[in-house]
Amino acid sequence: MSAIYMNMTIAFMASLTGMMMYRSHMMSSLLCLEGMMLSMFVMASLITLNSHYTLSYTIPLVLLVFSACEAAMGLALLVLVSNTYGSDYVQNLNLLRC
Amino acid sequence: MNLNLFLSSFVLSLVLLIIPILVPNKMLPKQLMYPKYVKSIVSLSFLISLIPTSMLLYTGQEGMISNWNWLSIQTFSINVTFKLDFFSLVFMSVALFVTWSIMEFSLWYMSSDPNMEKFFKYLLLFLITMTVLVTANNLFQLFVGWEGVGIMSFLLIGWWYGRADANTAAMQAILYNRIGDIGLVSSMAWLSLNFNSMEFQQMFMMSDKINIIPLMGLLLAAMGKSAQFGLHPWLPAAMEGPTPVSALLHSSTMVVAGIFLLVRFYPLMQHNKNILMMSLCLGAITTLFTAMCALTQNDIKKIIAFSTSSQLGLMMVTIGINQPYLAFLHICMHAFFKAMLFMCSGSIIHNLNDEQDIRKMGGLFKLMPFTSSCLIIGSLALTGMPFMTGFYSKDLIIEYANTSYLNAWALTITLLATSLTAIYSTRIIFYVLLCHPRYNPTPKIHENNHYLIKSLKRLAMGSIFAGFIMFNAISPTNMPQMTMPYYIKFSAIIVTILGFTIAMELNFTTYYMKSKYSSKTSTFSNMLGYFPHTMHRLLTKTKLLIDQNLASSLIDLIWMEKTAPKSITNYQLMASNIMSNQMGLIKLYFLSFLMSMSLALFIMF
Repeated sequence: MSAIYMNMTIAFMASLTGMMMYRSHMMSSLLCLEGMMLSMFVMASLITLNSHYTLSYTIPLVLLVFSACEAAMGLALLVLVSNTYGSDYVQNLNLLRC
Repeated sequence: MNLNLFLSSFVLSLVLLIIPILVPNKMLPKQLMYPKYVKSIVSLSFLISLIPTSMLLYTGQEGMISNWNWLSIQTFSINVTFKLDFFSLVFMSVALFVTWSIMEFSLWYMSSDPNMEKFFKYLLLFLITMTVLVTANNLFQLFVGWEGVGIMSFLLIGWWYGRADANTAAMQAILYNRIGDIGLVSSMAWLSLNFNSMEFQQMFMMSDKINIIPLMGLLLAAMGKSAQFGLHPWLPAAMEGPTPVSALLHSSTMVVAGIFLLVRFYPLMQHNKNILMMSLCLGAITTLFTAMCALTQNDIKKIIAFSTSSQLGLMMVTIGINQPYLAFLHICMHAFFKAMLFMCSGSIIHNLNDEQDIRKMGGLFKLMPFTSSCLIIGSLALTGMPFMTGFYSKDLIIEYANTSYLNAWALTITLLATSLTAIYSTRIIFYVLLCHPRYNPTPKIHENNHYLIKSLKRLAMGSIFAGFIMFNAISPTNMPQMTMPYYIKFSAIIVTILGFTIAMELNFTTYYMKSKYSSKTSTFSNMLGYFPHTMHRLLTKTKLLIDQNLASSLIDLIWMEKTAPKSITNYQLMASNIMSNQMGLIKLYFLSFLMSMSLALFIMF
């Protein structure tokens, strides 16, 4: 396995960790989501091009479209939370108030 | 006999009418020159048109001029053709005579109007299009003339376009005529498809293969143009135009175009019992309804307009009893006295300083002797006084209807309408001419303008003598019923005299009575049976509401907005409200996810 595949996998892992463990702002989670998408896109493009598998040339583009939709949804949710609470701190989403 | 004289004099009388349209106005120096020029052209055209008419009447020779190939599509060709038969020539002479008198009258009536030349040009254009309609030998040319008279009617009704009522009346005329045009175009299409030609001769040859569809289309066209019941409100509303327009278009010439169409197509209609029955019933309803409406109107022009409508219904009844020649005769006679009635009313209106309400006129019998005598002559001719003009057609119609095999209801209604004719004529005479004046004494009443006197005198002579002259000059077209019981022979005159006496009695008796409220019947008659009020608002508002509900509410608001997006939103909200039992501890959930994922990866590798 070439070095670039391992590189992209590690980038994916790092973004996943960054998405799961974050301090206070929800925005950083969304940014790491984008990072995950980026690494997946590059890996998909490289594998498809290197193996000359013509039918899969469109897969990175489809991936891009769907990730744009999900980023928009994530931002919509962020805006909703921010409209209600004034900021996007994750401790605002805690419904237990005691 | 002499074909050259026949055809060329006819063409000359047509071409003369076109010349004033082509001559530019600035070639004539003074004011009142162009209108006088137009009037003298029309009188010259009338005199020349007498030549082919008299040749026809005394030798029975008919003719046809085929001029110019307009278009030909494979085997279908349309030419410009003129048909010079009995109907066209006699109508041309009568129409030119009446137009000559009306133009002379409007030299006096419209003398204070700044656009008098345009008025005369419009009248002349109307006359030309009416000529095209009457002399057409194929349906296409007839349609051109048909539309032309419709347009000129619109322009002339809305002559005083600053008045909102005039504009609505003109629009009403166009719309009702358009509904009739649907019938005419559909019958044109059927006839040209099935008979492969639009020429009358070819169509009449195949009269045994006729269907009811084109005949119903023709009947619809006659309904629209001749203001039969159902498409009638435009005719009283058309009185918004100046009096010469009412006299020319809406009494003598344009409104008879529908009846003229049916008269032209009598070879196709005479064997179809259904269409004859339909036109009989339609004509009977029209004549009764409009005569009833005329009883309580207060505007003198509207009473005369309803009288016209009632006579048009009578013409339709005549067609229904299969007498096209009598209907045509009634058209020609009716033109004389109706135009004269309108011109008398115009003289009264102008002399009383534009007062049109008969409740504010009176006592003009001694003040305007000439106009009042012409009014009385016209009313007597209208009601069918023996041996005046109206008698020769109207009495014959009623006699023929009485002795023919048709349904008694239509006959009764026609007789009733005849007596109503006498009643409203008496009403006009009583309110306008008799008793004391009810107007301010300030208007200057004078009849000394020679245009007015000459034109009224000419039409009065026509109202008295033209019936006799024409009736004795034409060749007999069918066998009139010679023997009948005396009470049938006198039925028309008896109901007329009855109408006169009852009306005079009622008028004198109730002259000093004060009525507090209008009775229900009187209001029904005055508001034209509420026909315009319901049909103009109710139908259109319902249709527009349905359209708005279909297009905007149903498609836009409901299907495209509420059904897909909003319903999904509501469903999701409801579901998530019910099913969520999370507390929103995001960091905890994410951490647990990460731990379990890394544990799974660690075990696998």
